[in-house]
Amino acid sequence: MPRTLIVPAISVPLRIEHSEEQERGVTIIELTNVKKTYLLGRIEVEAVRGVSFAIEKGDFVSIAGPSGSGKSTILNLIGCIDTPTAGAVHIDGRPTAGLTDRQLTLLRHEFIGFIFQSFNLIPVLDVYENIEFPLLMGSGGPPKRERREWIESLIAEVGLEQWRRHKPNELSGGQRQRVAIARALVTKPRIVLADEPTANLDSTTGEQIITLMKKINRELATTFIFSTHDAKIVEVADHVIRLRDGMVVENTRSNAPVAVGAAD
Amino acid sequence: MPVLLRIALRNIREHTSKSLIIGSLVVLGVIIIVLGNSLLDTAALGVHRMFIDNYTGDVFVSGISTTPGSQVSLFGLTGGNQSETTPLLPEFDAIQSHLAADPRVTAVTSQVTGAGMITREGHDERAVSLLFGVDPTTYPGLFHDTFLVSGSYLVPGQEGILVSRGWLTTADKSLKTDLKVGDKVLINGFGRAGFKIREAPIVGVVDFNAETEGMDLIAWANADTVRILSGVDVSDENVVLSKSQTALLNATSDNDIFGAAETTVSAAASRAPVAEAAPATAVAASVAPKTGGSWHFLLARLKDSRQTDAVIRDTNAWFSLQGIGARAGGWKVAAGPFAQSIDVIRIVFYVAILIVAIVAIIIMMNTLVISVMERTGEIGTMRALGAQKPYVWLMFLTETLAVTIVFGIIGIVIASGIVGIVNLMHLTAGNFFTQIIYGGKVLSLSVTPLSFLKTLLMVAGVGLVAHLYPVMVALKVPPVRAMQAE
Repeated sequence: MPRTLIVPAISVPLRIEHSEEQERGVTIIELTNVKKTYLLGRIEVEAVRGVSFAIEKGDFVSIAGPSGSGKSTILNLIGCIDTPTAGAVHIDGRPTAGLTDRQLTLLRHEFIGFIFQSFNLIPVLDVYENIEFPLLMGSGGPPKRERREWIESLIAEVGLEQWRRHKPNELSGGQRQRVAIARALVTKPRIVLADEPTANLDSTTGEQIITLMKKINRELATTFIFSTHDAKIVEVADHVIRLRDGMVVENTRSNAPVAVGAAD
Repeated sequence: MPVLLRIALRNIREHTSKSLIIGSLVVLGVIIIVLGNSLLDTAALGVHRMFIDNYTGDVFVSGISTTPGSQVSLFGLTGGNQSETTPLLPEFDAIQSHLAADPRVTAVTSQVTGAGMITREGHDERAVSLLFGVDPTTYPGLFHDTFLVSGSYLVPGQEGILVSRGWLTTADKSLKTDLKVGDKVLINGFGRAGFKIREAPIVGVVDFNAETEGMDLIAWANADTVRILSGVDVSDENVVLSKSQTALLNATSDNDIFGAAETTVSAAASRAPVAEAAPATAVAASVAPKTGGSWHFLLARLKDSRQTDAVIRDTNAWFSLQGIGARAGGWKVAAGPFAQSIDVIRIVFYVAILIVAIVAIIIMMNTLVISVMERTGEIGTMRALGAQKPYVWLMFLTETLAVTIVFGIIGIVIASGIVGIVNLMHLTAGNFFTQIIYGGKVLSLSVTPLSFLKTLLMVAGVGLVAHLYPVMVALKVPPVRAMQAE
């Protein structure tokens, strides 16, 4: 019998300026006929074959599909850590094509938070420092005191107050993923991309992580896009994009199906 | 503490074994560089001091050889035409006055060089000796690094030779005798004037504060003895010959020489006092009273040896201006073949140290390459999180510099300890080769804070170069591909 995820309200109010409810419904990501081809030796592998869809601000989006369907590739393209072979990706109305490496890095830093399947925490930094790390990348940023308060509130939000001075190797998988969530949110991004965030976790912890992500999404209106092949987790999403063999086979939003291949 | 330094130091601690491997190589490299540099500096300084303080002075002035490829040094003429002899110094008085008037010069002396076979009356054994004919009045003013072991120094007008303890030991071995002060030796000269033989007493035995074991062929003699043995004109002035003397020189047969009643020149008798030697000497004495005869070289000491190059430059410019065919040079020019052999030995030694250092650097670079490439995933993550390339570069640079500086300092401490131990061991040179390497008879290494700083900078530079390539490669990998290496 499938379990139902219960998403509680966030107890600590987080201050994210762009989290206004009225922004909901505006397209934040748009993919138009995106293709991605890899070369495996001499063989060309088409990971993504002309995918088009749009994601609205504040959506909790699941990109679902079996292994090899192109989920991670699409997340990488949205996250600007990979470039499409053909087609266009627009983030907040801006095309990513033609941007320099520096501009792409800046875009990632300002707009996108990442949650990785393998957590990808910096091993020598503790919980607090790992969360703080993206803030140190950009120029300027909030004053030290404000920054500390913000990080502390994130630590509290992900329930790691007791672990703030612990290194990643002293944490469980679930705790590490919580750190990754807090780190993804620290720059107050408009989009958080999570590539199979529960893949390396047991089912209970995985559910807790998804619950936490959903809670933040509800409270802050941060757009969450996560890939998964777990049907139970897909259920939580407002918007589900199903892939098979690099193509969109289903695009459903708020229980209302969106035409497959439609850019909006 | 800045986050980059924090990450760097923690990474060093986190990857202890890797840090230790790189660190050990840095320590090894630093020890090699510090000891090698110290040895080279000591050798250079020791040899430099040995020559300047005992034989050459700071500035060496000589005539110019007319034969291409030949070089004039304190030991005579080397290379080029075998029939050419060491050129005499032209315009001696003018050059001497010019040098003496230079406020940077503290002392000037003159020298004539020759060579002879030493033997004893009734003995067949012979020993080769270089003869430095010197002016006893001015010579000690330049070379006060010697001390008298027995006898006395040469005094003006005295005929005799002053030898070193090393010379005496070598001569004793060759002549199978036991020479001492007061003993007379026969010196066979072979110069331009042909075969000459002189008898001269050993007036004194000296030793050196700075060891000069390789120079034990040298004996100091009164200038005229060396001039006569070497067939050197006793004056650089033109000598006007009488009709009969010219006829004698132009003679083509034995009869012309021995049958002529007018031939009044008495052959220079063996063992005759110098003052009664060849008539040319007598002529020279009358025409060149200031100089007391011809000289091969002028040697000068300076108030400050750091001004040597400037004095040489100015002196040579003056020679050009005055049209004087002389050349000024430093101790290396004066030391001639000795300096060249020292240079060769030093180059060989330097190359050996360089090879060892290069091997250490290559191993260090390889270890750094592996170390950086293993962290490609971490680089990808940082890039995904918004780190620009220079930031990642700076992070690895901080880490490399931290490793090299920390272990570099450890290397310097160890190297200093080794230097201290080596100096306590009082290692003595067994031969001329090791004496050159040691820079004297006893190895006495020295290290300076500047050499430490230079070594640290060098090692940091190596670390910088070593980490550049792998980081550059890792940064070229797109973040998505880099993260797949996590």
